[in-house]
Amino acid sequence: MAPRGDLQDPPPGLARERTRLAWSRTVIAFAAVGGALLKTSIAAGAIVVVTAVVLWQLFRVFPAEADGGARPARLRLVAITVAGVSLVALAVAFLGPGA
Amino acid sequence: MAASDSRPDPAGAEGVAGAEADAEGAGAGGAGGAGDAEPDARFTFANERTFLALTRTALAFVVAGLAIVQLLPPFPGVPWGRRLLGVPLIVLGGVIAVVGYLQWSRNQQALRRGEAMSPSILPRVLSVTITAMAIVAAVVLLLSALLEH
Repeated sequence: MAPRGDLQDPPPGLARERTRLAWSRTVIAFAAVGGALLKTSIAAGAIVVVTAVVLWQLFRVFPAEADGGARPARLRLVAITVAGVSLVALAVAFLGPGA
Repeated sequence: MAASDSRPDPAGAEGVAGAEADAEGAGAGGAGGAGDAEPDARFTFANERTFLALTRTALAFVVAGLAIVQLLPPFPGVPWGRRLLGVPLIVLGGVIAVVGYLQWSRNQQALRRGEAMSPSILPRVLSVTITAMAIVAAVVLLLSALLEH
């Protein structure tokens, strides 16, 4: 049996994989919103789809650190992007063809 | 950390309450100050997954609101019904994204300092909003049916 001290801070192991999968689901959700926007506004939908691709590439180019260090800039970018997408959706809701 | 026993269980912490524990608040901001220590990577990952889950919830609200406004046929007799239902959902999506980031930042700060994490208002906001929107949707449908006949 391992000493208790060895169990205090074990390596993240599958936590990193779960987080990577969570990022994948989030990017897919972004792309789905872009697809929904494409139905009514091609320009707005294209912007959101391209944003999803850019986020995915950012995630691939700058993967999670091995020690699981926090990445506030990346998360802030995601939050701002979602807020921006909601503003685009509001504009489409008021100015789009079905409005 | 004050004591590892006081940490929440990071395994599978995915939902809104995943990386939360009860107790007092902590200061906002993601940067660590003097005396702060990098927390266990599993807790950082769990906090990040909670933020991502909130992000997906926000996107779901946005796309639901957009679908209501753009894809539903107009309610007979209630021409403003679609916007009444869809616009609050879209706005709430943006709010959830921003509040989710602030909550991630607060939780990360608390993890660094070994403090307990502050309780989130988002579960209550989500429950109240979804209930309210269901009631409004039912009223709009009934009103539309009454005005149609």
